Amino acid sequence: MGQTQTKIAESGQSEEKKFFSGAKAIIQSLVDQGVDTIFGYPGGAIMPTYDALYDYQDRLKHILVRHEQGAGHAAQGYARMLNKAGVCLVTSGPGATNLITPIADAMLDSTPMVCIVGQVKANLLGTDAFQECDVIGMSMPVTKWNYQVVDANEIPEIIAKAFYIAETGRPGPVLIDITRTAQTDLMTIPYQYKLCKTLISYKPRVEPKVEHVEAAAKLINAAKRPYILAGHGILISGAEKELNEFVDKTGIPVATTLLGMSAMDADHPLFVGWPGMHGNYGANVLTNSCDLLIAIGMRFDDRITGDLSTYAKQAKVIHIEIDPSEVGKNVKADAPVVGDAKAALKALLPLVKKADHSEWRAEFKKYDDEEYEKITKKDLFHDGNHIKMGEAVALLSDKTKGEAVVVTDVGQHQMITNRYYRFKKQNSMITSGGAGTMGFALPASFGAKVAVPHREVVAVIGDGGFQMTLQELGTIAQSGLAVKIIILNNNFLGMVRQWQQLFFDNRYSFVELQNPDFITIAKGFGIDGHKVSDRNLLSESLDTLLSSDKPYLLEIVCEKEENVFPMVPSGGCVTSIRLE
Amino acid sequence: MLTNYTISVFTTNTVGLLNRITIIFTRRRINIECLTVSETERKGVSRFTIVIRSESREFVEKLVRQIRKITDVLAVFGYLDDEIVFNEIALFKISTPLGSEPLDVKTINLDWNAKVVHWGLEYVVVEKNGTEEEIHEFYSYMKNWEILEYVKSGRVAVGKTEKGLVEFLPEEGNWEIV
Repeated sequence: MGQTQTKIAESGQSEEKKFFSGAKAIIQSLVDQGVDTIFGYPGGAIMPTYDALYDYQDRLKHILVRHEQGAGHAAQGYARMLNKAGVCLVTSGPGATNLITPIADAMLDSTPMVCIVGQVKANLLGTDAFQECDVIGMSMPVTKWNYQVVDANEIPEIIAKAFYIAETGRPGPVLIDITRTAQTDLMTIPYQYKLCKTLISYKPRVEPKVEHVEAAAKLINAAKRPYILAGHGILISGAEKELNEFVDKTGIPVATTLLGMSAMDADHPLFVGWPGMHGNYGANVLTNSCDLLIAIGMRFDDRITGDLSTYAKQAKVIHIEIDPSEVGKNVKADAPVVGDAKAALKALLPLVKKADHSEWRAEFKKYDDEEYEKITKKDLFHDGNHIKMGEAVALLSDKTKGEAVVVTDVGQHQMITNRYYRFKKQNSMITSGGAGTMGFALPASFGAKVAVPHREVVAVIGDGGFQMTLQELGTIAQSGLAVKIIILNNNFLGMVRQWQQLFFDNRYSFVELQNPDFITIAKGFGIDGHKVSDRNLLSESLDTLLSSDKPYLLEIVCEKEENVFPMVPSGGCVTSIRLE
Repeated sequence: MLTNYTISVFTTNTVGLLNRITIIFTRRRINIECLTVSETERKGVSRFTIVIRSESREFVEKLVRQIRKITDVLAVFGYLDDEIVFNEIALFKISTPLGSEPLDVKTINLDWNAKVVHWGLEYVVVEKNGTEEEIHEFYSYMKNWEILEYVKSGRVAVGKTEKGLVEFLPEEGNWEIV
């Protein structure tokens, strides 16, 4: 109470207006929660809140995007970098529906997000009022939690709850739908913000059960050919150090999933690449030779397992995962460990014996060598005239010493980037994995740059995906933040084209693009850039990109019909992987 | 073989939760055979009783875990029929115009353990409690008269254990009895 009065005094309100409006309560709650940046787009039903925001510009940075989808993906990029909720503020109706794609994306990729959405006045609910839509109903399957506020008094408590749910356990998106009435009404109780620390109806397990950890340790100590699949959970829980300690002690080879990429130094001797449809040869094939599969903070997505009936059947499985509904969902766990990846690894470390699995590790090496001969060499050291995506990414990796934050879109370039970028620094890769949302990278890279302005942030995007959200060049230009954008342009929707070539008899059905002049577009937005198609100029082009202290766009014209290998055909067994 | 599973879901009393729960079934194309929502003996706790048919216990276990994950769900249990005491209730509106064959109320009461709960001018309403099968058999008997309307509730069920609901609710809650 005393604190509230101080706050009222500070904000200079007169005595008779001592209760906050709902709108002011929204903004003050965000500030009290520790939020310093929000991504948004104003409109009718959220205008009272934007009016309240006007007085908070010194405390709360609002970034005006060009489309609500951009706000969502930017918030995702921001959240992934900082492991705290990204915040979006948008209006009702189309403002809210435009946010649905990023919300669904965040749900699948466990990204904490708090979306505050305006809604029509309470008395108009359900009447098909202007810009009304049932965003609660729409977002229900793709949010971790959502709530409609009709009473201004509820606002601080609901916002605190939203952050708690979004950021704890398996993180995810939360949506709060706030009627215009709740924004304009004055609260009838003094404003007070209390951080939410626990909820009776939501109890994520962080510390694993001792008996589960012991059972897992027993399996690990007995294993001859153990293999770790480390996922996004490592990055989310900040368990990179624990993973490294665990691996160094046990000598177990580690692959990281697409979303777990950068959890381990790419040059670590026990790092064996990544599993999955376009993952590495050994990392896939040896899944079906190991005697113990240790999955940490991952969910056995079908892009990793392929055919479940032939997946790792010979192996015992330890599944360390914070979301109990994922354990046993796709792959049966012999030793389930429900809990936070970091806590579980900490608990396991003293129980596991020092070991050396060098013979087993050498098997991966054999496959690596074959993959290098058949694929990598051809991608990186070829005699062709055209630039290959792989050489561009490998060069980018060298020039940034593997230390940049790399944000990818979805498609061939995404797979190639994860093949050839050698991540040296933890939590450095952002991509849309579960949802595979084209158009993700440009706004997400911007959000990442907002979060870590001191780091080099490079967006690698295909020509198709770039055109889905290119309006966010405007947001980037207005911010002046030096996001580095690379378009790997092959004038095709490359991944679909590759599938059509391999699995649909070369019947290229609507995959060729007549592209605009990307550089002119960038310049139109006030962003400098240039195009390179000559292999000999690739290196200096990348230097120009990386040395710019402003946002910069580099269009790299790539070989038109390049395919990404290795490839496990969709739904196939991991050992049916193709190298060509 | 399709087996009945009864899923009991205990939740806080929150708007929209029914929708969140049913989404889990519809996404997986599971038909809900019946559904009952009610209060419980604890203030603020609602109880959903959902019956589905499934061939796989493992599948139902996965469903249960998915439901457990929903914020505001306090506890979830999946039961086989022999693990619960359960019942349903049915109402039959029977046409009884003047001159028609009179209802055999005695048989209805004693043999079928059902009762007439409302006497209208030219109709009566008969209530029958029991399992789905018992109600189904009674339905065959009642077909001897003209059934104007028939309605059956979803299942209500309690587990066959000594434990009460409160023992499964989060400990720190103040689960005041109603």
